[in-house]
Amino acid sequence: MSTPDDDFLVVEDLHAGYGGARVLHGVSLTVGRGEVCAILGPNGAGKTTLLRALCGMVKGRGAVRLGGTGLLGRPPDAVARLGVAHVPEGRGTFLPLTVEENLRLGAFTRRDRAAVQADLERVHGYFPVLRKRLKQQAGSLSGGEQQMLALGRALMLRPRLLLLDEPSLGLAPMVTRELFGIVRSINEEERTTVVVVEQNAHLALGIARQAHVLETGRIVLSGPAERIRADEQVARSYLGYRV
Amino acid sequence: MSETANTANTASTANEAAAEPAEVQAPGRDASGEPGSWGARLRDAAVERWRPIALAALLLAACYAPFQLVPFRVFQLTMVLVYAVALLGLNLLVGHAGQISLGHGAFFAVGAYAAALMLDRWDVPYLLTLPVAAAVAFVLGLGLGVPAVRLHGLYLALVTLSIAVFLVPLLKRFESVTGGSMGLTLTKPAPPAWTGLAEDQWLYFLALAVAVAAFLLARNLLRSRVGRALHAVRDNEAAAEVMGVRLPFYKTLAFAWSAMFAGAAGCVYTWVIGFVSPDSFPVTLSITLLAGIVVGGLGSLSGPLLGGLFVMFVPSWSQDINKAAPGVIFGLLIIAVMYVAPTGLAGLAGRAAGRIRRTLRRE
Ligand SMILES: Nc1ncnc2c1ncn2[C@@H]1O[C@H](COP(=O)(O)OP(=O)(O)OP(=O)(O)O)[C@@H](O)[C@H]1O
Ligand SMILES: [Mg+2]
Repeated sequence: MSTPDDDFLVVEDLHAGYGGARVLHGVSLTVGRGEVCAILGPNGAGKTTLLRALCGMVKGRGAVRLGGTGLLGRPPDAVARLGVAHVPEGRGTFLPLTVEENLRLGAFTRRDRAAVQADLERVHGYFPVLRKRLKQQAGSLSGGEQQMLALGRALMLRPRLLLLDEPSLGLAPMVTRELFGIVRSINEEERTTVVVVEQNAHLALGIARQAHVLETGRIVLSGPAERIRADEQVARSYLGYRV
Repeated sequence: MSETANTANTASTANEAAAEPAEVQAPGRDASGEPGSWGARLRDAAVERWRPIALAALLLAACYAPFQLVPFRVFQLTMVLVYAVALLGLNLLVGHAGQISLGHGAFFAVGAYAAALMLDRWDVPYLLTLPVAAAVAFVLGLGLGVPAVRLHGLYLALVTLSIAVFLVPLLKRFESVTGGSMGLTLTKPAPPAWTGLAEDQWLYFLALAVAVAAFLLARNLLRSRVGRALHAVRDNEAAAEVMGVRLPFYKTLAFAWSAMFAGAAGCVYTWVIGFVSPDSFPVTLSITLLAGIVVGGLGSLSGPLLGGLFVMFVPSWSQDINKAAPGVIFGLLIIAVMYVAPTGLAGLAGRAAGRIRRTLRRE
């Protein structure tokens, strides 16, 4: 492949919004293959909108390339077929369906049955609670279990790029740490590239290599995660809370 | 759209909830270690495998019934099966894909007229009219599905309703083809001599065969990847799309399939009645069909059969009870059923079956 590994995901001057409401005003960033990238920023900054623009849920202008392939202008199902899995805000669970049906829907674009079965086992390995609840309705899972289901379902795609929108939302600190541990091991073992949006900056910076701070639709700060974590001043002024 | 989806969700929820305890509690009972007599074991087996057993019993009864009933009752049961086939299709669309159609009678009519024209004009062997009528309805469903998938909820309801409204004047207008208001009269399929069956019995078995085939087709469709896609579209469109489900494709397909079942049902209708006219397919047919599937139970496989009983019998009962205003009785009955069984008759039956199973197990 002609694209070097350090610009696996390239976002250039991305503008996006909802109808008349413009939210992103020229976002540019790159993520290397197999890296975790954290997107931080206050409420309403446009973090969710950024992920939605990457996966095709909202239209954008500019350029988004994954491994050299342009993503902008493609509908979400086409982006999914290119190997982008999105754990959306609010988890996007199919509540009336069973846990197993939810997981199998994650592999909807795949035709390799045997490998899907193997991946089901792999997801059970990461989330043993899901195995016990396979035939249970997803709506009857606890919040934390639903978040694990959402992540497990995204893994069923065998994604090249995994987009996570606030995986810690509504979870107990212990469950959140467990979840981030799993994200890290997925990233390390399978070299899955991850873009994670998080309010819990401390945890996100703990697993990320690069981090970007988004404010009112613009990136106001970028850098290696350790540096941003270490910079108390940055934390106060840009994140609005202590890291 | 969201309202339909919700009804559909509760329907499937209730069914699954009713079916669940059997699997969950079974090991516990075994663990109690009582060896049990043959009778008890037989009973346990029956309790665990009640679904296939109930289906086999139902099919047996269905094959036995026409030899015990007077021809008029056989005819009524035949019509129940015809409506059940149409409702299987409507259930795919409304109960499983979460869309709505207030114009399904139009596809029924298209199947009926397609069969009638083939029989009337070209003397096509009647068995051949079935696949052709189904295919014509399928293609029409595909054609109407393409614009329809851009619409949601009330807008979709309105557009599908207008198709049904449009149909009667259209059929009357093209008199040279459709026979206009006079309609077309046809000879009904005659029973082959080797069967030794009377005409009404033969028509009944034809309808039964089509209904069983339609049931198996719908079941296999829903168990496949396609069924999963439809459920995903129904339960969370945005998430389904992110997962790679092509919304326009699957929604259009749901329209086309449901039209296909309705077209097949219309074709059997023509065989059974031997007459089609524009007034056989008024707008109220579409509304009655939708009422039938909601009352029968959205998203369940027994819903269409129960709905077929409803569509066949309730309007005529209403007529018997009050000649002046049958619509009032019909409406009140719908309200009553929805009040007692908000997930439809299938949900009610599922809950009853669950209770019986639990009682049997406790003994
Ligand atoms: N569906 C929508 N239609 C119109 N405007 C929207 C929509 N979703 C978000 N917005 C607007 O876009 C802006 C950015 O929202 P976004 O959800 O991207 O923020 P965020 O950074 O994810 O915030 P949070 O941390 O609260 O999740 C907000 O001002 C919001 O009002
Ligand atoms: Mg957000």
